[in-house]
Amino acid sequence: MAENILVIGGGPAGLHAAIELAELGVNVSLVERDTFFGGNPKKFKYKYLFPDLQPAENVIGELIKGAESNNNIKKYLSANIESFKEDGKKFSAVIKSSTGSETKTFDSVIVATGFEHFDPAKDSKYSYQLFDDVIDIKDLERMMGEGNFTRPSNGKPPKNVAIILCVGSRDRHVGNQYCSRVCCTVSVKQAIELKEHFPETEVYIFYMDIRTYGFYEDLYWKAMEEHDVQIVKGRVAEITSGPDNTVICKGEDTLLRGPFEIPFDMVVLASGMEGGPQSPEMADKLGIELDEHGFLKQANVTLSPFKSNKDGIFLAGACTGPKAIADAILEGGAAAMDAYIYAKKNS
Amino acid sequence: MAVEHNKNSERPVAEKGEHIIARHLIDDDAIKEEKNLVIDGVDVSGRWNTFIETRVDSEFDRSFFDEIQKTVVGSRINRCWQCGMCTASCTVTPLYRRFNPRAFIYMMQLGNLKLLKKYTDVAWRCVGCYKCSQRCPKQVNPAEMMEALALLIKKYFPEEIKSNHQLTIDEEVKKIYEGMILGHGRLDLANLHTSAMRKMGKTTELMSDKDERGAIFKMMKDGRALSVLRLGKPHKWHKSKDAIDNYLRHTGTLEQEK
Ligand SMILES: Cc1cc2nc3c(=O)[nH]c(=O)nc-3n(C[C@H](O)[C@H](O)[C@H](O)COP(=O)(O)OP(=O)(O)OC[C@H]3O[C@@H](n4cnc5c(N)ncnc54)[C@H](O)[C@@H]3O)c2cc1C
Ligand code: SF4
Ligand code: SF4
Ligand code: SF4
Repeated sequence: MAENILVIGGGPAGLHAAIELAELGVNVSLVERDTFFGGNPKKFKYKYLFPDLQPAENVIGELIKGAESNNNIKKYLSANIESFKEDGKKFSAVIKSSTGSETKTFDSVIVATGFEHFDPAKDSKYSYQLFDDVIDIKDLERMMGEGNFTRPSNGKPPKNVAIILCVGSRDRHVGNQYCSRVCCTVSVKQAIELKEHFPETEVYIFYMDIRTYGFYEDLYWKAMEEHDVQIVKGRVAEITSGPDNTVICKGEDTLLRGPFEIPFDMVVLASGMEGGPQSPEMADKLGIELDEHGFLKQANVTLSPFKSNKDGIFLAGACTGPKAIADAILEGGAAAMDAYIYAKKNS
Repeated sequence: MAVEHNKNSERPVAEKGEHIIARHLIDDDAIKEEKNLVIDGVDVSGRWNTFIETRVDSEFDRSFFDEIQKTVVGSRINRCWQCGMCTASCTVTPLYRRFNPRAFIYMMQLGNLKLLKKYTDVAWRCVGCYKCSQRCPKQVNPAEMMEALALLIKKYFPEEIKSNHQLTIDEEVKKIYEGMILGHGRLDLANLHTSAMRKMGKTTELMSDKDERGAIFKMMKDGRALSVLRLGKPHKWHKSKDAIDNYLRHTGTLEQEK
């Protein structure tokens, strides 16, 4: 008899896990709370992905197609896990969706509930939502996805744009000490996209460190060397209204040792990733642990990063911490293997 | 080697370091030159004894760091990663560009007393508004670090403090602060902002700006403005207030009321 495995979350990690398991002949139940699959990249209409600027459709579209066309995957949209309990070595779950409630028994479980974007309105110094021209990277991603790069306030191309890194990350005050890992690379990618669209626009990146780790560094070099993107070292402490419908960034240029107050047409906040409400919700429902950063806790961060602290429940993707799509997909595959082994042994 | 200062030399002496090429590139205090000097009976006054000190830092003095870390106000000096949020937030920096909390903390971390000495005229200028500490992402508490700095300057450069810069208190600012603290038990930044604007004679600008008005309106609408007002007084404020009152009266800072 085929194994039954539950995958919670239909983003890149969950989709890939579900497809791999289905290929092995497993009966997969894929539970997604939204009305669509594809996770955050779909929700915010990412158009081109770092590192190689390929169309997001190539990746996300493929994953969705792969899951949708596979009959071994039972798909639940607008769904959630209503209740969950252990049943010997197995698990019993009630899945509630638009088509009603269903109780099922599973041999193992993969949690791939992903992340939420940090809400920059929580850090009042950035005046997010107070000024139309202060947006964040997910907003810009969506605007670009809709083919609309212009200033929200007047629909015109911006003369200059400030990109501010580490918003909601690496900051004790907002409670997030960790680095969100992708926002530097997303930012240099967006700087390139802005410049390709509006070659006349000046783009400045305010940074403390630029963490385009590994090969992502290529994009950083490209932004500077091919598109004249200027980097300025210093974190911005305040955004206020300026003359002629501009917004003023107040900060310190720590290399020149001096304060600046410079008007920009548009400001893009590189807001980071958070575990979101779904992480504690999952921890609570499934009886697994949360880590000190608000993400789901891995049994051993080095030895067994895809295991939760509970046997039979596995983790994949951004639910265990900020990461890129490639890592999320990789983890989806790895968790699928772990979950399959567990199911095989116990079914 | 006998070195004597030739007090009665008749030689005409050039300005300090005058003969150095590109003199304007070198700081005054990097030039060591005695106007009148005799070594072993040879008169080497003026240009003959000129030395230019190295302009390269040749050590990091960590003993200094240790000293500051031991103080209550400076205990978090090891946390600072030089992001500049404090300087960017600072009330004083726009007035005195040379007052730079971030740079001062760095000088303290590396024990660069030579550099710090150049800032004894502004280093004590912190007004204690705590905007820096509110925003510092590492919770270094730079406001209190400025206190550590002031203590340090007092200890290492007492002469500079005495001779050059007597601290004067702006009476008006003091009144605003006292009123706020004793009246409400906390600083009211909006009030501080409007008082400062008024003081600068910018009363009309206060409400005339379209965006500022829009921002205020939005904050009212989404409840942020209200949440500020709702903060209220600190717990058991009257007790603390009595203590502060008492202290100020005792030290004669606060005028006696009848
Ligand atoms: C602005 C921005 C741009 C980015 N651009 C790139 C890029 O160009 N290239 C790149 O490699 N990476 C990029 N990333 C990173 C990328 O978004 C993540 O790596 C990826 O989304 C992680 O996939 P995931 O499946 O783990 O999580 P998610 O994408 O967050 O998907 C999780 C899914 O789980 C669902 N879910 C959550 N809770 C529940 C629940 N309780 N029940 C059921 N379902 C639930 C969610 O609805 C969602 O569909 C970017 C990130 C940001 C912030
Ligand atoms: S990836 Fe870059 S912007 Fe994001 S938190 Fe890390 S350093 Fe800051
Ligand atoms: S804000 Fe904090 S961490 Fe940043 S430079 Fe100032 S004291 Fe250092
Ligand atoms: S407390 Fe002092 S150092 Fe900090 S912002 Fe206010 S004036 Fe500047």
